[in-house]
Amino acid sequence: MTTSLVDVRAIDKSFDLRGGGTYLALKGIDLEIHKGEFISLIGHSGCGKSTLLNMIAGLDLPTEGVVLLEGEAVKRPGPDKMVVFQNYSLLPWLTVRENIGLAIDEVMGDLPRAERNAIVQEHIEMVGLGPAADRLPLQLSGGMRQRVAIARALAIRPKLLLLDEPFGALDALTRGNLQEKLMQICNEHELTAVMVTHDVDEAVLLSDRIVMLTNGPGSGIGGILEVDIPRPRARLEVVHHPSYYSLRSEIIYFLNRQKRVKQWRARPHQTVARHGLEKVNLDLGFLPLAASAPLAVAEAHGLFAKHGLDEVQLIREPTWRGIVDGLVDGTLDASLMPAGMPTWMTAGGHGGTPLPIVTSLTLSRNGNGITLGRRLAEQGVRTVDDYRAYLKSHEREPHTMGIVHQASMHNLLLRYWLAANGIDPDKDVHLQALPPAQMLADLKDGSIDGYCVGAPWLDRATRDGHGIAVAGDLAIWPGHPGKVLGVREDWAITYPNTHIALTKALLEACQYCADPAHWAELSELLSDRRYLGIKPELIRFSEASADVERGGPESEAAVPHHLFFGDGLNRPSRTEHLWMMTQMARWGDIPLPRNWVEILERVCQVGVFSTAARELGLEALSYQRQGIALFDGQPFDADDPISYLNAQVIKRDFSIAEIPLAPPRRG
Amino acid sequence: MVPTSSRRPGASSSPLRWLARSSGNWLPPLLGIGGFLLLWQILSSLQLIALPAPSSLFTEERTRNLILYPFYDRGGLDKGLFWQTMASLSRVAQGYTLAALVGIAVGITIGLKPAINRAFDPLFQFLRMVAPLAWVPIALVLFQNNQPAAIFVIFITAIWPILINTAEGVRQIPQDYRNVALVLQMSNRRFFTKVLIPSALPYIFTGLRISIGLAWLAIIAAEIVMPGTLGIGFFIWDAYQQNYVGEIVLGVIWIGAIGLILDRLMAWLQTRISPGQ
Repeated sequence: MTTSLVDVRAIDKSFDLRGGGTYLALKGIDLEIHKGEFISLIGHSGCGKSTLLNMIAGLDLPTEGVVLLEGEAVKRPGPDKMVVFQNYSLLPWLTVRENIGLAIDEVMGDLPRAERNAIVQEHIEMVGLGPAADRLPLQLSGGMRQRVAIARALAIRPKLLLLDEPFGALDALTRGNLQEKLMQICNEHELTAVMVTHDVDEAVLLSDRIVMLTNGPGSGIGGILEVDIPRPRARLEVVHHPSYYSLRSEIIYFLNRQKRVKQWRARPHQTVARHGLEKVNLDLGFLPLAASAPLAVAEAHGLFAKHGLDEVQLIREPTWRGIVDGLVDGTLDASLMPAGMPTWMTAGGHGGTPLPIVTSLTLSRNGNGITLGRRLAEQGVRTVDDYRAYLKSHEREPHTMGIVHQASMHNLLLRYWLAANGIDPDKDVHLQALPPAQMLADLKDGSIDGYCVGAPWLDRATRDGHGIAVAGDLAIWPGHPGKVLGVREDWAITYPNTHIALTKALLEACQYCADPAHWAELSELLSDRRYLGIKPELIRFSEASADVERGGPESEAAVPHHLFFGDGLNRPSRTEHLWMMTQMARWGDIPLPRNWVEILERVCQVGVFSTAARELGLEALSYQRQGIALFDGQPFDADDPISYLNAQVIKRDFSIAEIPLAPPRRG
Repeated sequence: MVPTSSRRPGASSSPLRWLARSSGNWLPPLLGIGGFLLLWQILSSLQLIALPAPSSLFTEERTRNLILYPFYDRGGLDKGLFWQTMASLSRVAQGYTLAALVGIAVGITIGLKPAINRAFDPLFQFLRMVAPLAWVPIALVLFQNNQPAAIFVIFITAIWPILINTAEGVRQIPQDYRNVALVLQMSNRRFFTKVLIPSALPYIFTGLRISIGLAWLAIIAAEIVMPGTLGIGFFIWDAYQQNYVGEIVLGVIWIGAIGLILDRLMAWLQTRISPGQ
């Protein structure tokens, strides 16, 4: 698997349109295929995956770039790169034997007749079609025809086998059998294969690598997944491999994301300027969380419109990753995001070029907590000390805890809490990013030990009896930042008045959310299908005292203490963002920026907040919040984050680096 | 058509029973034809139409002789219906064969080369619309002789369906088959024999079957206006000149029967040569 057999280099492909002009189908495709590798191309219909396959086959030529097969440019089709077509492409007037024989005669015509017949017979037997060898294709079922096509392709010993949705037209049972057959043949003959498919499970089952293509026009490679499931694989067993579902959900996330981008592109996108604002039609991202209450209130109570933003649309994403991608590709104007995300993206933590994200408003504080599963509680694990002991005694088992995103406070708080209690969050346990709504299911079936997540997913487990709360906001960092409003810096510079109007609308909504008299209404509002879509009684904003009577210190610790509004609560705090950056650097998510002063200056848009607060008549809020106090009492000196980092006992090898940021400019 | 199906096991061996069981197949056409002949008979008997009654074909001596002795030959044009038909059929065979050869060859060429197709298609579409009878004077001017002129008329009438269907058949070869040929790097000759011809065969046969009917229509028209030629067409014209109305009717029935047989023959050939398509 070291030598590269096929080398796709910088391929563009465009087609001439009927009415003149051209359509750019593929753009900048680079792909290396090694000998013996099985590659899948996956993507939505019309993304150009079949076109790419045809270019590797030589049936189509790239407009730009070149495909190399063993170092030679592919200029025309040939038997060394045999194609299995979607609709079988058997010649209907020839029998099974004659169809395969035709290919053999063409390619191996110089062999003696008897030898050629033997090869045909061998391959008929290989796909188990002995009894049907002298039948015409029309007398065969779809699955049998496809087996003939595969036999025909393999019989001529191609260097490369190309399959264009080979099982697309087959029923599920036949498809499964043929997939296993193909896998077995590929393993036995060490074939190199490229397959186009739209079936996620098929791709994971068969491939060594999965190439995901973005939607056209100008489709490119959106990502390549390595499938680390060992061979030989069995169809019914791969689903139990730990990687299976993460690979699967990775592909599904990708495909959904592509669909969303396509829908977004289908809508008109001219910027609508009105009321002295540069843009009043905004797409605002959020996740189904209790902390999304200010967004829901601003929409339901017309606060967006009150501040001139007539056409705000709330876009619900299942994961924070969707929010990150939405900001990167510009399909979202602004979004609710975890407090750590602006600095994390600004420092390039999302894996791309650093993308400056600014925040002008902290939307919520608190509302998080750590839950352990009932399986552990039944074994007497009720505190962090129990858990540490439990990890020691169960070292061999995998221990996974769920977080929602590496840049979210849940991750930072959970890691801080574990480390402060002598548990290494990377070595002793494994932290896995999961969609909040999925965590409860994973806790139930025992695939995770516990999780750190926000309301309402936080206390669901306690109520349903699937877990116990071991630490809440009050036990870790009372009043820690939760969710913030984030926009791209270039967006903020392009639409400065819109940015202020948005901050005003949400700040006013925060004020509304903070009033206990409104909490019942908030629960009702958020239970709507557009927001959370769960029962209102599961969404709580109550204070601790109201729940203590429900029993025990556990529930006191577990109750969300959402803070939406108050002195110093909403103003973006440089100290807090610096603390989050040091924590992310501590766990190796980002390097500690040497230019952290510049980054904080750009991320925390205190000016926008102050203007918004002043225009709302809330000057009193512009008050600098002082100090950071976590449960272990370790002081944080905002002037010397490096010493703070060095003082931590459990940490990764962190690095300090200059984050190269382009100067602020319009988008 | 009454199916001459093989007996199923356990079926009664009595032919009468079999006839009774399959009466749904043969009874309606028999009643239809019988009713038509009866109506004709009555109308003729009542002198409402000028045609002789069907029964007169057997009662009248001239027509009875023609029916009973199709093989007589008294030299010149005075021959039995079999010889008349054979003369016509041999002209059809020559013209039709020529049309098939040229039509298939040209059809494949224009099917493969869109440019050639674009160049000649208007011409073909135009010539296709010229009625067979209109070709007769042109043919006579061109060839100065009855026999080649008749063959030319057959040829020019029969070629169009063959040519157009063949071209369509070649154009309709699925891209998949072409891709298979491309990937296997088939030579042109092998592509022609292994893919193109088998794939286009159903279309070619459709053209051939339409054309055989047209050719038969054309030969009658051609012979009628070409005096002094042996053939079923001139036989009718001659009968008309001499006012033997019974012979005209007999000739027309004969022509219809031959045309039907030719068409069935082509249909049978088609099922034999390209099965399952």
